[in-house]
Amino acid sequence: MSDYDSNRNTQPKEVDRGRRAFLLWVPVGIFAGLAATVATAAFRFLRPAKSLQEAAWNDVAPLAELTGEKPIMRSIVAEHHAGWASTLEEHFVYVLPQKGNQVLSSICPHEGCNVAWRAEESQFFCPCHDSYFAADGERMTGPSRRGLDPLPTREKDGVLQVKYQSYLNNTEERIVRG
Amino acid sequence: MSKRTDSPETEQPKESWVARWTTLEDIERTLIDKPSSGFEAWARTTAGVVVMLLTLQVVTGLLLAFYYIPSTESAHTTVAYIEKVVPAGSWIRSLHHYGSQWLTLALVFHLAQMFWRSTYRRRPVGWMASVILLGLILAAGATGYSLPWDARAFFGTRVTEGIAGGLPVVGDAARSWLLGGPEISPITLARFFALHALIIPALILAVLAARLFVFRERGLVSAAEERRLEKWMHRQVMRNAIAAGVVFIALALFSLMYFAPLGPPADTAAPGYLPRPGAQFLWLFQMLKYLPGRAASVIAVALPGAIIFGLAMLPFLKVPLRRVMVHPRRNIGAVLFALGFLLFTGLTIAAYIDDSRNPLTREQFRRQEAEETAFRNAEFTPLRARTSESVSIESRTGGAPMQNDNGKKGGQTSPSPEGSASPVATGNNPGSPPESYITHCSACHGTRGQGAPMFTKLLGVGSKPRRSVEDIIGLLNDPLAYGIEPPMKSYKDKLTESEKREIAEWVASLK
Repeated sequence: MSDYDSNRNTQPKEVDRGRRAFLLWVPVGIFAGLAATVATAAFRFLRPAKSLQEAAWNDVAPLAELTGEKPIMRSIVAEHHAGWASTLEEHFVYVLPQKGNQVLSSICPHEGCNVAWRAEESQFFCPCHDSYFAADGERMTGPSRRGLDPLPTREKDGVLQVKYQSYLNNTEERIVRG
Repeated sequence: MSKRTDSPETEQPKESWVARWTTLEDIERTLIDKPSSGFEAWARTTAGVVVMLLTLQVVTGLLLAFYYIPSTESAHTTVAYIEKVVPAGSWIRSLHHYGSQWLTLALVFHLAQMFWRSTYRRRPVGWMASVILLGLILAAGATGYSLPWDARAFFGTRVTEGIAGGLPVVGDAARSWLLGGPEISPITLARFFALHALIIPALILAVLAARLFVFRERGLVSAAEERRLEKWMHRQVMRNAIAAGVVFIALALFSLMYFAPLGPPADTAAPGYLPRPGAQFLWLFQMLKYLPGRAASVIAVALPGAIIFGLAMLPFLKVPLRRVMVHPRRNIGAVLFALGFLLFTGLTIAAYIDDSRNPLTREQFRRQEAEETAFRNAEFTPLRARTSESVSIESRTGGAPMQNDNGKKGGQTSPSPEGSASPVATGNNPGSPPESYITHCSACHGTRGQGAPMFTKLLGVGSKPRRSVEDIIGLLNDPLAYGIEPPMKSYKDKLTESEKREIAEWVASLK
């Protein structure tokens, strides 16, 4: 026998229980509201940046230089904005004079190494995982799931220009990043 | 004597899941102090407010760490990015900035409230934990102030440095250990960051852990008393939650209305810049005005140190103090505490008044404010990242001057020998690698010979011994003969002789 028992018996049980539930739920509710407010802000704060900035047009070469049978390699320097930094990045592209000056990215669609033109076989070849592409960029053999990626081009004042984009690698479809 | 055995079979409700599987009830018992009601019970909700604000500091601090970079090149840009670009960024930074000041204030009220109830006698560990927490929060505020690396932060660091350097005997050592060298440098920022984001939070956690899990400050009580206390505790938790909720809403609205300050970068501050510390240090700042040089440094460290130490030791001074504080003279302690409180408040107010009275200061502050507003309203300008690749590209493209967020030159600015102003390089550029290099070498050595993580950089190779053009051709045929180990493999049969030569010539030309 203790004070505890007598104490307890003098109180109406139902009221006591309801009161206790209330006492429990008020703080829980307040803390939940508080946490939800901060969590909402945290979600917005951490959500990945939506899209990359629209790429600019870069000169590739004067049209007069783009002749001949085989693909011509050129380098472009594109400005790249991501987050708080802006970098100048050098990219390599192949111009196909035989295909209306189509411009192919040299990035292998498999895992992103630079593909090389092999004149003796008239093929593009990726030295990393042995993917082969035809002279027009079509996929031939190897692990790559699609052909080389063409880039948007335009001609301006007798100069071929390209808009450098990067694509998700290792997909069958061509999906632009950003 | 166990509490549960008194009322064994019938009435005792089944032990809850919480009681059975967690130590939460033990912690609750650690926290329970003498029950109180009315104003006193509400005064005690400073505890809940402190817990809420401390948690908020941790959460917002962790969030800021997702964007912040503690380097002198990037710190200011990343903070500007948080402020101007990231959604909810300026709110979260405001919460963190003003939250630290509110937390300091809440801790002072908490100590006052505990002192008033003589808690330090009944719960020495709880009391000491709160005092040490106040010291750590002040330290976190002082170190955190430097992290945005704007003019305000830079001068804040100067003052901290000056105070540390003015310490008797250990002054020089304290200064150089804090700065990581003879002057403020990138090392300093890294140190302040490590202290602010790693060391001090770890110490705070240790204090809280000791408070909650190590020490037991209650004697055993009867089950009836236990029951009564638990009920009171539940009501008190509710009061705490309400107080914490109200303070949170106030702080949230305050942070929506007021930006955390961020001025232009440290190195662009105009001469005559007037720095002011955060609100929680204004009293110290004001006091330094009244004290001469070296004494000021000593007092600036000694006084807060002595106050913190004295307060922490209060439980051990119980014999004389108790004698002093026994009824009817117990008010002496309260008077002392109140005087101290008034002194701090008075000094803080005096600091504000001083600044608003002096027309020169007022003018300078107006200028600074205008500067800050202009900077805040300006669009975010990204930092030009200076990778080795971009530098080599810049030097090739004529080193077009690059403006970064600071408005200073961010890249390599020496004009290139080619003098080409075009930002676009075509394949005919003398610096461009041969196609065969791109094909066979660039995957590992980089498109400009800059290397990659784990792979050798080729820049400057030509000036090393045994790396003439002929040597490089030989190396391509038989790397091992030149002391080069795998993953570099032989290109004897993979390249034609002319390809080997053009690669070797290009690589040897890399500077």
